[in-house]
Amino acid sequence: MRRKASLVLLAFAVFFGALSPLLRWYAFPRLAKIPPSQYQEAVLEAKNATLIDYATMQSKTVPKVTVVQTLKGNVEAAKEIEKSAGKDVVVWDTLSYVQGPDGKMVSQIPERYIFDAHSQAPVHATGEMVDGDPVQRKGIEFKWPFLTEKRDYEYFDFQARTSAPIHYKGTQKFHGLDVYYFEQTVPWTKVPYPKKMPLPGIDSSTLEKTTGTSLWYTTTRKFWIDPVTGAPVNGEEVNQEEMRGGTLLGGRDKVTVFAGDVKMRDDYVNHTVDLVKKNRVLVLLLTSYLPWGFLGLALVLLALSLWLEARSRRPSDPPPTVTERLDPVIA
Amino acid sequence: MRALIAAAIGLAAALAIVLTVSAIGAPEGKTSPKPLLTTVPSAPGKITQTK
Repeated sequence: MRRKASLVLLAFAVFFGALSPLLRWYAFPRLAKIPPSQYQEAVLEAKNATLIDYATMQSKTVPKVTVVQTLKGNVEAAKEIEKSAGKDVVVWDTLSYVQGPDGKMVSQIPERYIFDAHSQAPVHATGEMVDGDPVQRKGIEFKWPFLTEKRDYEYFDFQARTSAPIHYKGTQKFHGLDVYYFEQTVPWTKVPYPKKMPLPGIDSSTLEKTTGTSLWYTTTRKFWIDPVTGAPVNGEEVNQEEMRGGTLLGGRDKVTVFAGDVKMRDDYVNHTVDLVKKNRVLVLLLTSYLPWGFLGLALVLLALSLWLEARSRRPSDPPPTVTERLDPVIA
Repeated sequence: MRALIAAAIGLAAALAIVLTVSAIGAPEGKTSPKPLLTTVPSAPGKITQTK
């Protein structure tokens, strides 16, 4: 009976002992992926920002400019691209909608971002775009990979439509989480006008050609990333945009289109932190809690099995003692 | 010999479970019917108006 029990315990010990590395190094890389149907919105605000009034082409200080970022996973498009890509793909259709203090649209830029669901590496397919223009992204955008490392990453800037390093600047505490702080500075760069701007009667796509006035942009981008899920828990951009040269500015060299410190609204910070705290438990289950738990359990079961085995081999009755005197055999 | 068989059963069960779970994966879900926002939500998830 003990023998049988020790064999059963041994089978369980091997089961849990094998499950531990299999979960971490086989199941986790395959199971940890961005769901293709994700929908998320975020609201960012720039208080006391400078904003151009297109009616007078003068910039003025306004109490608040709001940026609404929506991100919507397109499951059908992802399935279509997966057929040719041969891997799990996520397609995010996003919109950055900027609203002035009067509630009117300042600009809106749609994007289609296609990436590997596991590694977040960009996948290039038809439809990848920024504001209707085809692009080929390098690096990441919006989200970092699972188990983010303390190193620089290439980050795609949708305004400049190029990628540049975003630097790891240290670990910080944020709402009780240990997060990695990343920062990227995009130097003054000429960028295309957004296709949708509040310029009645003017086609923004030909604005530079017809007037010679170009749009320039610089930003310092800050992200606080939960290293377990790779999700940003907070974001901030110190942003400046200027129109330069040409005939549109009435003889002036440049006019500020927008200048402000764009920060995530507090309720969205709290909401994002709560969401990330929930999701990081799932990742930690596969990378830490279950593998270590199963390894510990395997060791306990193995020890128990060996102990039972040893007990089953111990003789229950004392060995018979030789009492009779044996006569020597004489040949 | 019995110990080896027991260990093999444990290993096979672990492999079967992990391979099955990894192959099934997570459900994909459907594209959300919610729009890309052109209004400012009053709170997370509270879409007040759509275009």
